[in-house]
Amino acid sequence: MRSPLGKTVFYVVVIAGAIAMLFPFVWTVVTSISPGASLTTTPKLIPENPSFGPYLELFSRVPFARVIVNSLVIAVASTILQLVTSAMAAYVFARMPFRGRGAIFLLYLATMMIPFQVLIVPLFVEMKALGLINTYAGAILPTIASAFGVFLLRQAMSTVPLELDQAATIDGAGHFRVFFQIVLPLVRPALATLAVFGFLNTWNSFLWPLIILRDPLMQTLPVALSSLQGQYSTQWDVLMAGSVISILPMFALYVFAQKYIVQGVAGTGLK
Amino acid sequence: MNKKLVATAAVAALAVVGLAGCSSSGGGNASGGKTTVTYSDFISAGGNEKNLQAIVDSFEKANPDITIKVTTTAYADYFTKLQTDLAAGTQSDVFDVDAGSYATYQSQGVLAPLDGVTASAYRTSVLDTYKTGGKQYGLPTSFSNVVLFYNKDLFDKAGVSYPTKDWTWADEQAAAEKLTDKSKGIWGDYQPVTYNEYYKAVVQAGGQFLSDDGKKAAFNDAAGKKAADWIAGKSGTVMPTAADGAGTADFDTNLFKAGKLAMWHTGIWMFSTLGQLPFGWDVQVEPGDTQQASATFSNAVVVSKDAKDKTAAQKWAEYLTSSKEMVDVRLKAGWELPAVSDESLLQPYLTAGTPANRQAVFDSLEKVANAPQLGANSQKIQDDVTNALGEIAAGRQKTATAIPATAEQVDSLLK
Repeated sequence: MRSPLGKTVFYVVVIAGAIAMLFPFVWTVVTSISPGASLTTTPKLIPENPSFGPYLELFSRVPFARVIVNSLVIAVASTILQLVTSAMAAYVFARMPFRGRGAIFLLYLATMMIPFQVLIVPLFVEMKALGLINTYAGAILPTIASAFGVFLLRQAMSTVPLELDQAATIDGAGHFRVFFQIVLPLVRPALATLAVFGFLNTWNSFLWPLIILRDPLMQTLPVALSSLQGQYSTQWDVLMAGSVISILPMFALYVFAQKYIVQGVAGTGLK
Repeated sequence: MNKKLVATAAVAALAVVGLAGCSSSGGGNASGGKTTVTYSDFISAGGNEKNLQAIVDSFEKANPDITIKVTTTAYADYFTKLQTDLAAGTQSDVFDVDAGSYATYQSQGVLAPLDGVTASAYRTSVLDTYKTGGKQYGLPTSFSNVVLFYNKDLFDKAGVSYPTKDWTWADEQAAAEKLTDKSKGIWGDYQPVTYNEYYKAVVQAGGQFLSDDGKKAAFNDAAGKKAADWIAGKSGTVMPTAADGAGTADFDTNLFKAGKLAMWHTGIWMFSTLGQLPFGWDVQVEPGDTQQASATFSNAVVVSKDAKDKTAAQKWAEYLTSSKEMVDVRLKAGWELPAVSDESLLQPYLTAGTPANRQAVFDSLEKVANAPQLGANSQKIQDDVTNALGEIAAGRQKTATAIPATAEQVDSLLK
């Protein structure tokens, strides 16, 4: 494809990039199996006394099994609900012309600009009034309507030829049928992308679960991990052990859906 | 395909209904003659959860009619959560504050005054940090402070007598000059050139960093300039310069550990990090100029003005800050020191070995310099002061011009 020199330069750059990307992960894993490790000294990439002690301590310090279940329930439920609401809203924005549609869509997108920090107190007061403090529902409900999801899916649905809908309509299909049988199957890559992003966001979400979930038994992973940090000092080995565990589901999901994610994100720019 | 999607949607819909159904009934308070006191803390986060639980257990044993419900949050996130709770009225009956945040909450009027506290059980200077308008609003859970660490071997070799608790800056300066031996890479003294050292030095020189009402900088006077010269002047003569690496992470710790630093201004939290070293070392109260003033940091518990049972809440607050059981747990675990006055309770700590003069930790509490309340621009003010001191230390600016200019900056940032 290119001159041997160009190829060499290309590989050197790519390998350097890969090392830069991988280094933090390697450091995380190494720290998690080096009991008593601190992050202030130069990292040792080969641990002196590797052991799974930090993992054992992790499980004794936080109700880890329960915390993982909490995180999974919240992330999975939130992702599914996001897919449902976003797909339906996106279908309307992509396929049903009505007066003011463009303005409403813009307004919808504009909500992405509001920093969540501003919403916390009113949202929390609202949840208190609904009696949802310290419940899964309280953690999930504010996440299920996603402006980003609507945007992503609307862009994907706009690329589905209108002729397909029209053909189905002539054959007697209503909106529901067109939605479920024609449009949705054709935007599967975008749905997979949204599923990954939605899961990632909820899985990593920190501020809202921190505030709404009060009981240690209700906490999610990131919140439980942060409780391992002290006012003046932190046991990095234990914290990194927790981080490694928290990366695993994301890693699995990404490997599984990688093909779709690249397609889905690349597709948002097309019309 | 169709069936699958419909099924997914149905499950999702069910999930919404199901989730909405399992909302908790909220905290019931007094049930069967038992009172529940809720307590939000950050002090136990990061490794002392079990030690706090031990104190809770012994309290509940002594007070069978009171149950303590603890919620622990990491320090970094604690105040975000507390602010939200206070806005929504869901804060715990008893909660942690630190010296820096206490004044804010007190002025917001969310704290209940504590009557009938046995003041003599506490170290006065630390207790007074949480007193406003003659009323006690918080009880100190723990403290730490800054003392003068010194390398006995270097003192012996240079023929200089060890620091005493009556030392002044002049004594320290004279000793530092004798102890410094640049050819051997040995430095006499190390005190970080930072805001944190400066506000304390201003008090040691007889001045104060902020005016009494806290609205203006008060260090643009003789004391403030003297303090600046003291903090910035050591650099390059008896102390390594920034160019030598001073100010970078662990530079001072490694220098002291290597036996190349004779005197070191740092916190008592270094005791366990240093432990036994191949040379003798000890600590002493930090020298002052016209007076002594040691930097002291502390945490405290307060009672919410909305606490349902204030008597029970205060009982827990007092137990958590002054009981013998608490002191025992803290000392045994090596958790931060309690601010109790009873020396007999502290014997295990005082006799724990190197450094031998642990009494200096408590002597330092007699005259303290509390951190000024800098308000919203706190970080900016600290950075400006640290920068100005760095410029003076490097010889790029003169104290006579840098301090008035910094005072002006601080004035505008306080508004």
